Amino acid sequence: MELPHLRTLAQARSHLAPLADGAQSVEASSAYERALLDLDRIHGDESPALDADGLTEDRAALYAGALTAIEELTNYGIDALDVELVLAKLEDARALDRS
Amino acid sequence: MYGETGELMRTQLAALLRQYRIAQRLGGPSRWAPDGLASPTEREELGQQIQQYRQTVITWCSRTLQTVQTITFSNVPSRRADPFRPDTEDGATAELVRALEHTRRHSSAPLATIGLLTTPSDNPVVELWRQAARAAALAEHDTSGELAHRLTTPQAQALAGDVAAIAQALVVLDQRYRSIPGWEHLADPGRLGWTALATGLDMSLDQPDYTVDQAGWRPRIKPIRGAPKPGILGVLQAEHNLLVRLKSIPTAMNLRLIVDSQRLLSSHLHPYAERVDPRLASQWQARATTYALVQQQLRNLGGRLGKGNIAAAEAANVLGRLKSVAPGTVIEPRVLDGFQTVFNRVDTRIADIIEEGVTHATLLQRVTLPRVVDTTQQLVHPLRERFIPVAHAADAAVVRTVRDQLRPSAGEVQRATPGRSRADLHAALVYRPTQGVAEREGPRL
Repeated sequence: MELPHLRTLAQARSHLAPLADGAQSVEASSAYERALLDLDRIHGDESPALDADGLTEDRAALYAGALTAIEELTNYGIDALDVELVLAKLEDARALDRS
Repeated sequence: MYGETGELMRTQLAALLRQYRIAQRLGGPSRWAPDGLASPTEREELGQQIQQYRQTVITWCSRTLQTVQTITFSNVPSRRADPFRPDTEDGATAELVRALEHTRRHSSAPLATIGLLTTPSDNPVVELWRQAARAAALAEHDTSGELAHRLTTPQAQALAGDVAAIAQALVVLDQRYRSIPGWEHLADPGRLGWTALATGLDMSLDQPDYTVDQAGWRPRIKPIRGAPKPGILGVLQAEHNLLVRLKSIPTAMNLRLIVDSQRLLSSHLHPYAERVDPRLASQWQARATTYALVQQQLRNLGGRLGKGNIAAAEAANVLGRLKSVAPGTVIEPRVLDGFQTVFNRVDTRIADIIEEGVTHATLLQRVTLPRVVDTTQQLVHPLRERFIPVAHAADAAVVRTVRDQLRPSAGEVQRATPGRSRADLHAALVYRPTQGVAEREGPRL
């Protein structure tokens, strides 16, 4: 993986982690965690460490950041279907978090 | 495991101690059958068989006491001040070892053969002896020489106390069997009986540790196969199977899936437990919180070594089956206890996996990406490594969490008790039937 790809992946992971930690329910937290695990699985668990520096605490902004970063992964050769599945999981997690 | 074999031995001996009129029980003459149901030759043969079984029990007693003698210290203060002379040469235990060896060597009866140990007898007395000897033969597996390297002194004292009680039982029974034709008495039974009594008393002065019952061979835990059990039992079945499958080390990804499943399981079971056992419910809530923390701390750990696909599948089964449990279900206390037992083992295993993984670098630290700083004129170097070993394993946050919060503390493990069979054998040693009971217990036609 090239550095830009790694950076995008780190950004996606770093936005998902606080979403999981601050979720309203255990189910929603687990759903965000599963999305994060899926990202790692797609990348053969070669993901970089989380980088929480400069991250906002606004959950809407975190969600938007995660969404953008995950969508960007298609630019680095990641299968579009895999990306769509992660996005679907992220959407499910958000729905659980709001309910 | 010694808990099972020792208990079987004590139970059979206690039953034998409650039997009087042995000659009649072996088919000798009685009020109801003046000529006897068995000839003297047949009774002598049964007597010889019993002596072989007894020899097996004596041999176990002798060998076990020799094994634990090195770490069993007498409570009697030694007169000698010479610290270079081992203290274990003196004291009641050492004397009992010598008495048992003397008895074993001076008996003409051979050890019971495999055939004798495994063939049930029609006579109830002989059958009790056979079971006791069989337990003694199996117990050799549990209390072999390797045991001495692992036992603590309080555990060894518990074992020596058991041997002493069994030796006393053999002395009492020896006197009661004197009417059997050709019966060979124990060599110097008085010495054996008194040294056994002294050892038992000496060992009971300290607090023996009955966790010795957990020592020895135990069958391998196997997965519960077959169709999923209905309702909550299906969840327990999957959780048990997860524990079995955790025998192999999971990859970091699978470990994170398993940790997530445990967090969800504890959290979902909490309301069910709250109705029946609030104490357990609070423990499970704390467990869910701990797993949430472990989950966070594992995000920055990775590694490809290991497998654990089946364990991850069982973890998924746990969650899948949990959804089928109706919200108002009342879970029986014994099922809740079953969950707690499996939880303790799963937690211990996961704690082991994480600690060993971090220490032996199968779980590695993910590398933080270099920052792009526009103000410097330097190039950003590409990453050469994705993972690095954790520098100080003991200081890793996840290791501290599993040590301090996840691993069940010793206080949560139920304190070992002497158990019913020990008290029962001690009671049987002084058992004497009343007249009425003796009449009723007499053989009938």
